[in-house]
Amino acid sequence: MSVDRKRKTMDPVVRATQLEKKYGRLTAVDRISFEVRPGETFGLLGPNGAGKTTTMRMMACISPPTSGDLTVLGMDVRRQSRAIRDALGVVAQHDGLDPDLSARDNLIVHARYYGLRGSVAGARADEVLEFFGLTARSRDEVDNLSGGLKRRLSIARAFMHRPRMVILDEPTTGLDPQSRNRVWEQLANLKQEGVTIAMSTHYMEEAASLCDRLVVIDHGRILAEGTPDALVREIAGAQTAMLKVEGPERARVVRALAERGYQAHGRGMLLAVHGRDGDRPQVEGLGVAHVIYRPSTLEDAFLALTGRELRDE
Amino acid sequence: MALAVIGKTADFRPANVIGVWLRHFTAFKRGYLIETTAIVVEPVFILLAVGFGVGQLVGQLADVSYAEFVAPGIVVGNAMWHALFECSWGAYRRMQIHKIYESLLTAPVNMRELAGGEIAWGATRAVMTTVAVLAVAAALGLIGSPMGLGVILVGALTGLMFGSLGLVFASVAPTTHSLTLVFTLVGTPLFFFSGAFFPISSLPSYLQPVAWAMPLTPAVQAARGFATGSVGVQEVLALAYLAGLTLLFYPLATYLLRRRLIA
Repeated sequence: MSVDRKRKTMDPVVRATQLEKKYGRLTAVDRISFEVRPGETFGLLGPNGAGKTTTMRMMACISPPTSGDLTVLGMDVRRQSRAIRDALGVVAQHDGLDPDLSARDNLIVHARYYGLRGSVAGARADEVLEFFGLTARSRDEVDNLSGGLKRRLSIARAFMHRPRMVILDEPTTGLDPQSRNRVWEQLANLKQEGVTIAMSTHYMEEAASLCDRLVVIDHGRILAEGTPDALVREIAGAQTAMLKVEGPERARVVRALAERGYQAHGRGMLLAVHGRDGDRPQVEGLGVAHVIYRPSTLEDAFLALTGRELRDE
Repeated sequence: MALAVIGKTADFRPANVIGVWLRHFTAFKRGYLIETTAIVVEPVFILLAVGFGVGQLVGQLADVSYAEFVAPGIVVGNAMWHALFECSWGAYRRMQIHKIYESLLTAPVNMRELAGGEIAWGATRAVMTTVAVLAVAAALGLIGSPMGLGVILVGALTGLMFGSLGLVFASVAPTTHSLTLVFTLVGTPLFFFSGAFFPISSLPSYLQPVAWAMPLTPAVQAARGFATGSVGVQEVLALAYLAGLTLLFYPLATYLLRRRLIA
């Protein structure tokens, strides 16, 4: 019994196997496989149109997979959608809040679908409002709340029924830095309480500071997977050199770097050159006056992986 | 296959229908003054203007005054307007503009329950306006029989039917703007040509079958039967027709909403 239970708690919370989603001839998610482990904060990192939202929607059981397998909390999204949704909290990219209700009523009305009603729902709403710092605004209409408060309210709504796992689709897109930090803080608190979190994001800082493990996707495919640190080290090395080279010199330096086996990534007026693993990139003797070395970041890894082509959703 | 994701199964949670209905009731309470005004005042204006104003010109019909003739039709005609408006424009707004349906579907709510709650609320509004306008009509002496209370039943069935139909329109409407056609091409002709304002027998003979087939016509006939105290087979058949159409439109709306939202 205890062995069984232990095994059960170690089973992945989400398991996607060759998961595919097509809209007509467009393939939004192209046979991806990944796992979300219990208690971890899992991040799906990718540019706009990479397939993040589609993947999140399939996990939330509101979009049926075209092919492949997807289990959430050990249940099949096709056959056990209702039981999955009973145990899941979902925060969509658009808040999906109800403008005809007060902030507090938004929580209470939604919690009813999970079986919370009456004074129990009221007490839980007050508790959740407090946790998310919304108590003073509980009677306000949703339309009178700022973007940051709305997002917090929609996250609060997802926590009313104490879900075993929460799915958040780009939880801080469009928020100012203060609100974003506040949301991060609260997500970190929830993680402390043992909630499994699966989120999508295109903010490197968010992925780096919140997620235990990341999957980088683009064009519906997985490009890399690992902890933020391991990803950075593997793809952009420990150190990155920023070279200031302008005009005709630029082409020459890029060629010289290529001869040394380095790829130069343009960043405005600068060129970024990533080291290999723990080493500094060797960029001396190229006649570049301005060189700055800095630790590589997730953004370096991300741009190296996904390239510079512009995206539109 | 695609439909299996949300609720093609046998499990149906009536509590969710109540939950959706309570959402509407909670929103209604927040704006009750405006809502009540819309529900009562406009139909009463029509009742007074048409019943007494136009009635003066028309004079006596066969055995009732013109005001008595039009009152039941105005009552259920308004029940239609409210249910149709709530479940087409209101539902579309909730679904496409505020994305509330999507929030609902991420909760353990199935489309059939969601549609059921929407239609139930549309019918509730229809009953509210039926009761209010019926009371005014009765106070003005326009309801000849105590069986007039049966008009509330007609209002409820009218609400369920036009709520279901409204939801069908909402589920296929490409834009908010396109929904105005529901009012100009469906609501208005039904309101004026379903025998509420003049006997269908006064229409040209080739138009009479069309008028009889229109879904508000049986409601008007049944309401008039109850108001005047003459309820027979025809009235019962009229109610059955309303119920039958509801049983057609409700699953259709559910199917179309699934097709639109579960993608």
